[in-house]
Amino acid sequence: MATLHGWFFDAYPAGKGMRIWLIDQQGRPHALSDGFIPAFYARGPQEELRALCKMLRARRAPVELRRTERRDLFLDQDVEVLEVGVRVPGLLPDLFRQAANAYPHLTYYDADIPLPQRYVLTREIFPLAWCAVEHEAGRIRNIEALDTPWDVEYRLPPLRVMTLRLDGELQDPNRGHRHDLLVEVEGRQYCFKRRHSRQLLLGMRHLLERFDPDLLVSAFGDSYILPRMLELSRHYGIPLPLNRDPQQAVAHKKAHSYVSYGRVMFRNAQHTLFGRWHVDRQNAFLASDYGMDGSLEIARITGLPLQTTARVSTGTGISAMQVATAQRRGILVPWQKRQPETLKSGVDLLVADKGGLVYAPIAGLHEHVAELDFTAMYPSIMVRFNISPETVGADCCPGKLVPELGTRVCTHRYGLVPETLAPLLEKRNRYKTLIRQLPDEDPRKETYKRRHSAHKWLLVTCFGYLGYKNARFGRIEAHEAVTAYGREVLLRAKEMVEARGFRVLHLYVDGLWIYKPGADQQPDYEALLQQIRDHTGLQIGLEGIYRWVAFLPSRVDPRSPVANRYFGAYEDGSLKVRGIEARRHDTSPFIKETQLEMLAILAEGRDASGFRASVPEAIHYARQQLLALRAGRVPARQLVMRQRLARHPHEFTVRTVAARVARELVHAGVTLTPGEKLRFLLVPGPEKARAWELLKGEVPYDREAYTELLLRAVESVLAPVGVDRTMLATWLLGNAGYWGPPGTLPPPGMDGGQPLLAGCRMHRTRWPQPCTERDDLLLRSLYDESPASLDQLPPLAPALLPAPSPLPIQDHASVRP
Amino acid sequence: MGRTLPSITQAFLHEQQSLARFRRALRREDQRALDDLLASSKNHLAAAAYASHLLPFEVMLLAMLVEEHKQVIGLRQQIDQLRAALEELGASAER
Ligand SMILES: [Zn+2]
Ligand SMILES: [Zn+2]
Repeated sequence: MATLHGWFFDAYPAGKGMRIWLIDQQGRPHALSDGFIPAFYARGPQEELRALCKMLRARRAPVELRRTERRDLFLDQDVEVLEVGVRVPGLLPDLFRQAANAYPHLTYYDADIPLPQRYVLTREIFPLAWCAVEHEAGRIRNIEALDTPWDVEYRLPPLRVMTLRLDGELQDPNRGHRHDLLVEVEGRQYCFKRRHSRQLLLGMRHLLERFDPDLLVSAFGDSYILPRMLELSRHYGIPLPLNRDPQQAVAHKKAHSYVSYGRVMFRNAQHTLFGRWHVDRQNAFLASDYGMDGSLEIARITGLPLQTTARVSTGTGISAMQVATAQRRGILVPWQKRQPETLKSGVDLLVADKGGLVYAPIAGLHEHVAELDFTAMYPSIMVRFNISPETVGADCCPGKLVPELGTRVCTHRYGLVPETLAPLLEKRNRYKTLIRQLPDEDPRKETYKRRHSAHKWLLVTCFGYLGYKNARFGRIEAHEAVTAYGREVLLRAKEMVEARGFRVLHLYVDGLWIYKPGADQQPDYEALLQQIRDHTGLQIGLEGIYRWVAFLPSRVDPRSPVANRYFGAYEDGSLKVRGIEARRHDTSPFIKETQLEMLAILAEGRDASGFRASVPEAIHYARQQLLALRAGRVPARQLVMRQRLARHPHEFTVRTVAARVARELVHAGVTLTPGEKLRFLLVPGPEKARAWELLKGEVPYDREAYTELLLRAVESVLAPVGVDRTMLATWLLGNAGYWGPPGTLPPPGMDGGQPLLAGCRMHRTRWPQPCTERDDLLLRSLYDESPASLDQLPPLAPALLPAPSPLPIQDHASVRP
Repeated sequence: MGRTLPSITQAFLHEQQSLARFRRALRREDQRALDDLLASSKNHLAAAAYASHLLPFEVMLLAMLVEEHKQVIGLRQQIDQLRAALEELGASAER
């Protein structure tokens, strides 16, 4: 018997047991096998259970059948069940399907937990655990984890990485982009010509054999590169060792679309490997946000394989953790007939079903506003008030009553959900503390940040999961209890805030925006925060104090402010932006950049009057951007817009932009599935928009359409000081120039009674400082293109929120004829 | 065979209590405005008792509107007076 130390790398059913891969300290992979007899359970009438046994025996299924007792979560007692142990683990899913089809009225448990997860749970290890393994003749005798998933600092195996991508610009090859294959491994790059596919195949085989990578990182590997290589391999009859395990075929899941919260979503194809990992950066969930560090962290704490955590939504991660808690406690895991595909984050869900308390903010520009946020409010409520599907509405003990609802919550049993979430919250807090303590130059800081961000996503989805009625451990009453506590906690905080003389500008589910003259330093909030912590039992922190923050009205009705459309600059100059163009997924990079840069200019202002003082500079910048746009100088790439395809291309009845683009792609032979993203450029001419992937070379864009979009974006930024579209069009498109924020005096010689329109007529031939002849020409063409539009401009709308300044009003009155 | 109706004062009090949750979720400044309105509605308890065919909450709202409208009329008059005074000032300054 030998002992091996290594990181647990991969596990899957193979032969009569499980195939286990470990990577040792030198980076060498080791394959071992382990016997494993997973079981599923059935409950119901005796005669049906007997019939099920008979059927399994008649089919000579490799099963071990016995009557036993197991605990049911909701009944809170042991129930009699039939245990079906499967001696060949790989056959469990199929045997279960046979049983469920033949006897659909039995209740099934432990039937759909993925085998790799079951294996690590049974052995009390976890993915990437540092393990000591005793083995003999290739078989594991004992495997033990020497670290825990709750360690914040852990060592990871030295992974050999091979990257695969197509040469040229990063574009979806399924939309027609074709190029040579670039392979990078151990610092060297190899290029395989796409026309020489046999050489490509032989070359790939050679590289895989020579370098034996642990991890393939690709761009579009799931949907194009891997399937294409497999196709070539079949065509030439040349085997390609993509898997480390030659016995296994590459696992393939087809692309499909599904509906989530009323939106059509798209899940691309997946190709996963055995004994080796494949991660497609273009098909990774939130990869940019927490990257590989985050995916590894999630694999360690959820017990799911990395090839899963790098792809699925984190809702599945929480579900897996609840399953793990149940298995550890010996509680049966109900079979989940329908898997939720994605989960909205808790906050979105609350707003969607009006469970969270959301104010209409006081619209306009405010200074020295403090933002207080409850930390991970929903998971914390679940943990603190023991909210779990089996504890809410239980009548086993007097318990505690939920505010508003009066529902009873059991206090004598620790809920499954709080037990699952408590260590997660704790680990997240430890990362938060570490990030705060480490100096910026410490290389660990970035890693911790990405792990922390992965935790944030895990926690944010746990609430949606609790409310999802098809979720394994979901229950609507539990979900309602959380929202009721959320409202209570927020109102208590509001009352304490107001009792200390603050004005509440905005409340949003778990955040408060408050203002008191003079309270503009962190110490001004310490006592308040401590009081809220004491009275709610939840963590709350000062997210920041704003130099200025602007809450915007709705675009549809300027009189009504909307809850989640605002932007502000914190004391350190960093920005927080919600609900405006820069945050939208369909906004083109150029518009996004313009808006964010304008905000950065305005963020130099240290308070509301600083904001106003920075407006001229922001407008100057916007004007430069507009000039570049109108002159056709913006690279088309910067103007690409995105939209989700909401239906099948042939189902469109209206000629929307999406319909046109979809039709163009379909004509070019591209297969489109609803939920996929469309990328397109707005172009002049009857076609209006062209699919980005089909454009060759620089193409002229629709200057008018992009001007309109840019003006909208600029308007959002300046609306808080009362600038509307009419003023903008005059300042930016006309030649009236800009003399200051609304309410300030016009320069001498300009008619103040009709401030802007009269101005541009008077100076029709004088252009504002053209830099070059080209600029000059451009400005002339601009003006001549739309002379009528300036004359037809409607009278100036009253400023939304004019700066309080009595002087100009007097002045205007005196000039009026 | 007379019905016993709750006295109108009690009915108003009851309506006010049923607004407690609504009131709690308001900003403090809005709570004060609501309290003012509720207080102003009490000026018309006698009329409310007399209009026995209306629901107490409806009378309460009407009573608030009556008080509000009185305020509007009063303010309008004040503005007219001020405007007249300003115009007179302006005219004398031009002269
Ligand atoms: Zn209990
Ligand atoms: Zn210029």
